[in-house]
Amino acid sequence: MLRSGAFDPPRPAPDFALPTTQGGEFRLSRHLGKVVALTFGYTSCPDVCPTVLAELSQLRVRLGAAAKRVQVVYVSVDPERDTASRLRAYTEQFDKTFLGLTGTPDQLTTVWKAYGVSVVRRDLPGSQPPTYLIHHSASVFLIDSTGRLRVMAPFGTPVDDVLHDVRALLKE
Amino acid sequence: MRPLLVFALLGLLGATGAVAQDAPIRLEKPWVRRAPAMPDAKPGAESNAGGYVTIVNRGTAPDALVGASADVAARVELHETRNMSGMMMMEPVAKVEVAPGARVELRPGSYHLMLIGLTRALTPGQTVDLTLRFERAGALTTRATVR
Repeated sequence: MLRSGAFDPPRPAPDFALPTTQGGEFRLSRHLGKVVALTFGYTSCPDVCPTVLAELSQLRVRLGAAAKRVQVVYVSVDPERDTASRLRAYTEQFDKTFLGLTGTPDQLTTVWKAYGVSVVRRDLPGSQPPTYLIHHSASVFLIDSTGRLRVMAPFGTPVDDVLHDVRALLKE
Repeated sequence: MRPLLVFALLGLLGATGAVAQDAPIRLEKPWVRRAPAMPDAKPGAESNAGGYVTIVNRGTAPDALVGASADVAARVELHETRNMSGMMMMEPVAKVEVAPGARVELRPGSYHLMLIGLTRALTPGQTVDLTLRFERAGALTTRATVR
C-alpha cells in the first residue's frame, strides 16, 4: 500500500528526453529497472527546492545499498538562468548522483505540461538588478521500474512516507 | 571629567547587563541552507539561500521582525512560502509579527529569510552571521550554521 498520493490505476509515465548537465541526453524510457524520483525546480530557489533535494538526498542515504536502484531527476523550471553548469553545481551539493536537466523553453515546457507542473514567473518588486522568483509545483513523482507513474508526493510529505513508497516500489 | 566618564561606563555596563538578562526577543536554532558558488552568474542571478531561525518573544509587548542582513549576501528579504494546492508560491512580506509569549518558527516551506546574491559558496558546517531587525528590540545578531 503506497502512502504518499498514489496514482490508481498506475499509468505510463510520459516519456521525455532532455540534455543532461554532463552533456549527454536523458531519456526516461531508458531508465527502466530503476525507480525514478522526478521533481521540478530552479537553482535560484532558496527555500522549497533545496528542501526537496535535501530530503531526497536523505532518502538515498537511508536506502543504503538499494539507493543505486533509485535515480533522482531534477528538471529546471527556469531555462533563462539555469545553465547546465549552474544546475550541476546546484544538484551536486546534495548528491553527486542527482541528474539535473535543463533545455530550451520549448523543450522544458513540453515536460512541465506532460506532468501537470505549473510554472509562473514572478518579478521581485523593487529588486536591483531586477530579479524574479518562480512559482511552481514541487511534488515528487515516483516512476516504477517498468516506467509507470505511481506516486505524486506533494511538498511537505514526510520523508518516511516517501521512503516507504520507494522501498515498496523497489520490492515489486 | 573623570566622575562623568565612570558614570558613563557604569551606565553602559548596566545597559549591557539588561540586554543579556531581560532581552525580550530570543533567537534559537539559526541555520542557513547550503548553496554553491554559481558558475557564470550574471548580476541578479547569483546564488540565493534560505535562512531559518526560531524567534521567541518573552516580553510583554508585541514585536515584529522587519528586516535582516547577512555577512555573506548582498541583501536579505523576508519571504513567506505558501502552498496553493501544490503550487509553491513565495512572496516578500514586510514584517513577521511576534506576539508576547509567542514562538515563531522560520522554517522551510513557511516564513524564511531569503539571502540574495551570495558572495561565496555556503558549505555545511560553515557559519553565517545573521542580523535580524525588530521593530522594538532593534538589531540582534546570531551565528547560524550552514546545513
